[in-house]
Amino acid sequence: MKPFSVQSVSVRRIHVWYALIVLVFAVFVVRLFYLQIIRHDHYKAAAQSDQYKEYEIPASRGVIKAHDGERVIPIVLNQELFTVYVDPQLIKDKAKAADALVKTLGGDKAAYEAAMQQDSRYEVVAKKVTREQKEALLNHKLPGIGAQSQEYRTYPQGSLAAQVLGFVDDSGTGRYGIEQALNKKLAGKPGELKAVTDINGVPLAASEDNIRRPAIPGKDVILTIDIGMQKQAEQLLKQGLERARSDSGSVVILDAKNGAVKAMANYPTYDPAAYQQVENADLFVNNAVAGALEVGSVMKPITAAAALDMKVVRPDSTFYDARQIKIDDATVRNIEEDGGAGTKSIADILNLSLNTGATWLLMQMGGGELNRQGREAWYNYMTNHFRFGKETGIEQGYESPGTVPSPTEGYGLNITYANTSFGQAMTATMLQMAAAYAAVLNGGTYYQPHLVEATISSDGTREDTKPKVLAKNVVSPEVSKQIQGMLEYVVDKHHFARQFSDAYSVGGKTGTAQIASPSGGYLENEYNGTYVGFVGGDSAEYIIAVLVNKPKIPGYAGSRAAQPLFGDIAHMLIDNFNVTTKTR
Amino acid sequence: MTYSSSMAMSRQRYAVRNQNSVSFRSTDRRLGPITNTVALIILACLLGLLYLTQVTKTNAFGYSIDRLEQQQTQLKIEHDNLEVASARLQSLDRVQNSAPAQNLVSVAPSAVVQN
Repeated sequence: MKPFSVQSVSVRRIHVWYALIVLVFAVFVVRLFYLQIIRHDHYKAAAQSDQYKEYEIPASRGVIKAHDGERVIPIVLNQELFTVYVDPQLIKDKAKAADALVKTLGGDKAAYEAAMQQDSRYEVVAKKVTREQKEALLNHKLPGIGAQSQEYRTYPQGSLAAQVLGFVDDSGTGRYGIEQALNKKLAGKPGELKAVTDINGVPLAASEDNIRRPAIPGKDVILTIDIGMQKQAEQLLKQGLERARSDSGSVVILDAKNGAVKAMANYPTYDPAAYQQVENADLFVNNAVAGALEVGSVMKPITAAAALDMKVVRPDSTFYDARQIKIDDATVRNIEEDGGAGTKSIADILNLSLNTGATWLLMQMGGGELNRQGREAWYNYMTNHFRFGKETGIEQGYESPGTVPSPTEGYGLNITYANTSFGQAMTATMLQMAAAYAAVLNGGTYYQPHLVEATISSDGTREDTKPKVLAKNVVSPEVSKQIQGMLEYVVDKHHFARQFSDAYSVGGKTGTAQIASPSGGYLENEYNGTYVGFVGGDSAEYIIAVLVNKPKIPGYAGSRAAQPLFGDIAHMLIDNFNVTTKTR
Repeated sequence: MTYSSSMAMSRQRYAVRNQNSVSFRSTDRRLGPITNTVALIILACLLGLLYLTQVTKTNAFGYSIDRLEQQQTQLKIEHDNLEVASARLQSLDRVQNSAPAQNLVSVAPSAVVQN
């Protein structure tokens, strides 16, 4: 029998403990190997999702400014307001919470309680809440009620130039007007912050992986609009429409020498700060830019300018007016007050608004008859000289190019083209008409109509918009002067409630345009009244284009509805905006 | 005899033997591998501590930066709100409806100065 040895027992115990310790360590090593090597990616991602946060730094939207006389003032700004929400799951006492909302925000208690009954975790109960209101509400310390900050556009001048400005929708995208056309410039570029953060989300500065790209704020935009002129144009338009018993209309005031739009008004209008409440989306549209229509007799000075520039007639040319011209199966007739049959000059064509005269001018372009040569020559002037049928490129959403019929394709081309010579069978916007008159009256340069005078970057760099010439030699300087004289003659021969001083040159032309019916042909007894003219000293300074839709007063829409409005606006400019006086 | 007493006896034997030996003291003092290791560990700990101090300090600056950024944002909001209030006070409608404007009399121009 082997004797019992104390030494051997001790050694065995040591070995057991040693084995146990090794085993424990082995378990640790295996577990760590599993966690750190095999599940490395999973735990790395989990840790990063907790610690590594990505934030978008919103870019501040650019401010829109306009002229107020010599000053430039903001007319669209940003304001921090709050959206109040509730989490119905966290609200215990719904009546108490609704009372607190009514007390601080106003509104309907039942509506708040209904929102709190919803089966969701997020219900918006109020928007555009001021900081003071938000703080008063949160002071109640009610669980389940919170507020989120949001930047909103605010309009200190109310609805002034609403359609020109447009608005910014809830997603931060500019809609209509300048906001849409210059959305990219105004919006800027959001920045980003990727950083390891503490438990409160505060970025830890020591992390090597932090990425901070600051937001680039949107550019401020300075408009060519003068708010005083705009305000008065809007008021006069509203009064003029009421006088003419019309529901809608537009006014454009353009600087003849560079294409800058000084005022652009539409009625009816809306409050861009409350665009959500507008039921009819047509109100958002800037009709002076987007609404192409048959403009009527305001086209006749353009036809005369083209014929004079082509040298197919002279300023002292005359023709015998039989009060009607037969073209193929159709007949072109004059209005009743055409002065009777007889010999008429080009100035008479404009003064008496002779459709036969405009047709005669077109016939001269074809060598004395209505033919392809004349149609193509007139088409060339309409599209390439006066740029009808093409967008002007003004900084506005939804601009319409208008339409000009083809001179060679289609049926009834001669009568169609006869109609275009007096502003029917083709369409143009009031802005296009103003720009074409500006080109005729400033000596023959077609400047792109524009609303933006300059943009200013966040670092203060100013970028001025240089007047862009879209067409040169639209007409010769001589023709320009001849047309100016004829338009002044028209104003002299027409009655205005308040006569114009001889110190200024004022000219223009009425238009009473038939309205195309959706079912074909033209509407019976409904017309649009138009007027395009100018005020200035030796040369035209401001071009004024006026549209009165479907006036309900008796008489010709052009002379009874649009002409008085033109007169009011011309006087407003002379009285308030330092129109240069004549020197000769 | 226990295991410990047996070990003690064997050490005693060597101690007696060493009494007759000549001892040499080396003048070239060198740190042993253990000392080196310990020193390196202490140095590494010190460097780690220094690194942690710096990281903590830097992160503390992060909080200051965050606080200043919040202040900057608040000031910008305040500035924007004041700008809005100023623009509203100068709006055409407000000026038009103000008491001094209500007392103004409209005058039509009676003459034109010709240059």
